[in-house]
Amino acid sequence: MAETDDNPLKSDALHLDDFSVKQRPHQQAVPKYYGEALLAAARADTSILALTADLTAPTETDLVRDHLPDQFVMAGIAEANMVGVGAGLARAGFIPFVHSFSVFLSRRSFDQIAMQIAYPKTNVKLVGFMPGIDSLLGVSHQAIDDIALMRALPNMTILEPASPADYQDAVAAALAHEGPVYLRLYRATAPATPLDGVPSLQAGKIRCLHHGNDAAIFATGLMVEQALLAAEDLKAQSINASVIDCASIKPLDVEGILDIISQSKSVVTAENHTIIGGLGSAIAEIMAGNNIARPFFRIGVQDCFAEGGSRPFLFGKYGLSAKDIAAAVKQGLAS
Amino acid sequence: MQTGNRTSLKQLRDTATLIRKDVIRMVARHGQGYVQQGLGAADLFSYLYFQELRFDTANLNWADRDRFILSTAHNTAVFYATLARAGLLDPETLTEYCLDGSSLEINASERLGPLVECTCGSLGQGLSVAAGLAMGSRRQQRDANICLMLGDGELEEGQVWEAAMFAATHKLSNLTMIIDLNYMQVEGDARDVAAIDPVDAKLESFGWQTIIIDGHDFEAMFASFVAARADTDRPSCIIAHTTPGKGVPFLEGQKSHNMVLPEDTAGDALQWLEADHG
Repeated sequence: MAETDDNPLKSDALHLDDFSVKQRPHQQAVPKYYGEALLAAARADTSILALTADLTAPTETDLVRDHLPDQFVMAGIAEANMVGVGAGLARAGFIPFVHSFSVFLSRRSFDQIAMQIAYPKTNVKLVGFMPGIDSLLGVSHQAIDDIALMRALPNMTILEPASPADYQDAVAAALAHEGPVYLRLYRATAPATPLDGVPSLQAGKIRCLHHGNDAAIFATGLMVEQALLAAEDLKAQSINASVIDCASIKPLDVEGILDIISQSKSVVTAENHTIIGGLGSAIAEIMAGNNIARPFFRIGVQDCFAEGGSRPFLFGKYGLSAKDIAAAVKQGLAS
Repeated sequence: MQTGNRTSLKQLRDTATLIRKDVIRMVARHGQGYVQQGLGAADLFSYLYFQELRFDTANLNWADRDRFILSTAHNTAVFYATLARAGLLDPETLTEYCLDGSSLEINASERLGPLVECTCGSLGQGLSVAAGLAMGSRRQQRDANICLMLGDGELEEGQVWEAAMFAATHKLSNLTMIIDLNYMQVEGDARDVAAIDPVDAKLESFGWQTIIIDGHDFEAMFASFVAARADTDRPSCIIAHTTPGKGVPFLEGQKSHNMVLPEDTAGDALQWLEADHG
């Protein structure tokens, strides 16, 4: 592919360099937020091990491989086995962080995760990258159902941070919980800015990033940024929406969510995932279970498979953009 | 780990007979079950728990214990009977086998406690967990051995071969896999279902030491574990040929995954085992 300054792939949102040896000259250095966090944790606790299935650089575990080689395990392209090995290591007293792309980890290894991690509550941290439709690599690489799968498993904690600036806290939260955790991460394409004035990411807690009583937008992962953009846009139109970061998808902060909804006229959920079984479903279950009726819209992949493409293209085509969120808020207020 | 003391062949044989009687009684209560596999593997279980595995009956969670994973998690009549005979399980509980609410489930689960090192039942997963345990044990410089029993039909699961490659890559020589080779699976003869043979050549090509034995020959079992321990570079696989229904002549060789065991047949089997060895 010709690489020119106007190449839309210039930002390399998907870190294609990780699949080749040589870094491309145009690339801007971006911190490995997750890799650094894991490395720091592994330095402090030698029982932490990093396992990966032939995706070392794309999961930022190259830092552990290079700096703490004794704490790195290459498992080969065999995710099901890697999950089982992780469970065995956990039973021997280690804390394995098991890495792959979200789609391979969740779909391919689902039974192994259920039986060897979730059921026995082994202290394994599953770390999936390339969440939702955020992938140039196409439908095979798009984890549109991983949250639904992991949510359905008893004993599983699910954390999807909104920003790489939260990854250190996410790793700390995963370690603070002795048991199975699924971390759903994307790689930073630019330096991330820590959020000011909000508490740090914690399991079981929501964080209100933007306040407004007209509508509540519950978002997770990459959709938090879209929700904040939507809220800014709506504000200019005198519509005040709250944006709530639901990084802890399981356990959900039920009390906090009910409190926000009680103050809101309508509810919108936003997730980079199918609308079936993910955050939107979880919020709907809470509302229905507590006899709360509000205009309600789920932004996400609308029960379909997608295709490879850039984030702006796919988020636009599949209805995951700030514009779609803002439209849903307005529709809720009009109903 | 073998501790130096040899259990006499007679004791191993007598224990296997007691286990077989327990298997008959446990399955007979339900009229149907994993009787053929239990009788077939009774000698292996007698050997494992009365000669090979190192454990502490007073502390089942002893960190340096040898780990045994029953990847053929359904073969529980023989497993529970052996645990009871080895002082690891209250023999009284054998009467609860497969009853509602009992932790002696038909597929072994860790509801039973640390004696079940991981919950298998979903075939193909045991070797991966065993490999993780072996890697962890070695990292902690424990001299514990990790042992698992696999069925031959289970070799049809792709994950077994992923794990086999992984164990060889990481030279997990503290890992010993016993394949209970009776060519019996739900659909019939395993060889008619999938080309699992030659098991030894397949595993050798994957980087394993393989040792083929008669799964009813205690001397061969002893020698195979000596060979497994002697190889410090590769995981080992003991391919144990077993005969379903072994020990009861009129049941020997009958292949049935979940065989019906009428009361009178069970009575005859018990009588035969009493008369022959009692």
